[in-house]
Amino acid sequence: MRIKIALAQINPILGDIFKNREKHLEFIERAIKEKAKVIVFPELSLTGYSLLDLSMEVALSPNDSFFNEIFNLSRYIDIAFGFVEKGVDKIIYNSAMYLSQGAIKQIYRKIYLPTHGMFQELRFFGKGKNVFVFDTDFGRVSMLICRDFFHPSLLFLSYAGGADFIFALSNMPLRGLSGDKPYIEETVEKAADTYANFLSAFIVFVNRVGFEDGLGFYGGSFVESPLLVRHGFAGILNEKLTFAEVETGDIYKKRQNFPLLREEDFSLIKQNLERILEEQK
Amino acid sequence: MINLSLNYKLVRKFIKNFIREEILSNGFSRAVVGLSGGVDSSLVLYLTVDALGNKNVRAIMMPYKTNSPDSLKDAMLVVDELKVPYEIVNISNVADAYFENIKGIHNLRRGNFLARIRMAVLFDKALEFQSVVVGTSNKSELLLGYSTWYGDMAASLYPIGDLYKTQVWGLAKEVGVPEKIVKKKPSADLWPGQNDEKELGASYKELDEVLNLYVDQRKSFDEIVSLGYKRSIVNIVFQRIYKTQYKRTFPPIAKFSPRTVGIDFLYPHDFKR
Repeated sequence: MRIKIALAQINPILGDIFKNREKHLEFIERAIKEKAKVIVFPELSLTGYSLLDLSMEVALSPNDSFFNEIFNLSRYIDIAFGFVEKGVDKIIYNSAMYLSQGAIKQIYRKIYLPTHGMFQELRFFGKGKNVFVFDTDFGRVSMLICRDFFHPSLLFLSYAGGADFIFALSNMPLRGLSGDKPYIEETVEKAADTYANFLSAFIVFVNRVGFEDGLGFYGGSFVESPLLVRHGFAGILNEKLTFAEVETGDIYKKRQNFPLLREEDFSLIKQNLERILEEQK
Repeated sequence: MINLSLNYKLVRKFIKNFIREEILSNGFSRAVVGLSGGVDSSLVLYLTVDALGNKNVRAIMMPYKTNSPDSLKDAMLVVDELKVPYEIVNISNVADAYFENIKGIHNLRRGNFLARIRMAVLFDKALEFQSVVVGTSNKSELLLGYSTWYGDMAASLYPIGDLYKTQVWGLAKEVGVPEKIVKKKPSADLWPGQNDEKELGASYKELDEVLNLYVDQRKSFDEIVSLGYKRSIVNIVFQRIYKTQYKRTFPPIAKFSPRTVGIDFLYPHDFKR
């Protein structure tokens, strides 16, 4: 199946969920016009990143009527976006919501919340506990958020769940300006190449742009196919909506030519992991 | 010994976006830059004009009577080149009104006072022009504390605050700052004949390499010395960094309430209701 994935490399306004919702609606409508199957926004696309004490003020329950218009548009296109989730447990999470057919298909809570150097997410957010893989009408999707993408263990779980598409909704600040590309961009692209190749899945990386309190998010969104072709590259530093036209049959081809998934023995992994953890006690 | 050069084309674009967004997101569209005629302020003026357009920028020159006349000439070279509106505010009378009643005032006191007068002028001009003050501090001077607290350090944003002095030279060449300015001996020009490198006790090249090893690469004092850097220079860097840490932090508050400014009242700088 040939499908179009819209990558919404936006620059949200910090803390202004109303203006950001407008931007979401605008980008979604443009993607619908282009007949995209799904549109993917960055991490915390509705709120901005450097929230600190604002986190609790912009948090929303997933069924808040605030989302109504976005839910409506998801009757025409699947939508993945980032927001601060007010949990029923009254804890707030750095979450991603996947909408389809006017309803919530999945909510993913970021598992690895970086808290070092310039990052302080664990001061404000609760930690997610589960990786999900769910069906859509173009394949099985798994969502991860930013730092999660640097933990191969989480992508391995998506792989174990049979993911065809792994979405990485990100807010990666630029660092390293001595080479042709920012160092962080090289790191992400190398990781995506490796994951796409060995997990034989599409990697959908969507990163925001813009500055907040000195941090400059670099963008550089793209889709990497299991055949290692890059699609829909959005360039760096500028807000952009790009489209990656991909052939889902590439996954099938890859898994025949390089049948890692067929060889995989997940119960062996489970046993070994349990033994290793037991030995560490 | 280590290469600190950067992809200056990309750095230029990144900083241009930074200036634009940080100023716009804080509700302004215009800026003032205090222009001395040195490489830091010239570079910042080029970048700010790049980001906002020359009509939205004012260069303010604030000479004191003992400043080298070449400084103002170089500043004029820059404003002519950029076609940026400028103003010259001679601070000699204001400063001398204070200095004349003080006996035996030494260079550092004089220099700091002049830097703080310039700060006061600059913030007044910023208000007059409904704009923000763009700072010109670089990473070397921020880390070495080689600048006047609440003087030249006072600004709304620091576009070149993550560039070492040697990288400032690299970016200045990239954006087209006149070669004469890039090549001249660095001087804060707070008193006649002042020379940064002489006063600091090492060249910027040496200082920047040691700073990079310690700050960015997290090497220890002994590791840096074992790489072949002079112990005396490494010492200067370490001493200066720790002696001047107060300049780089918010002053401590005696906390006793549930939420205290700077400690746990934590709103981002760039949020506007």
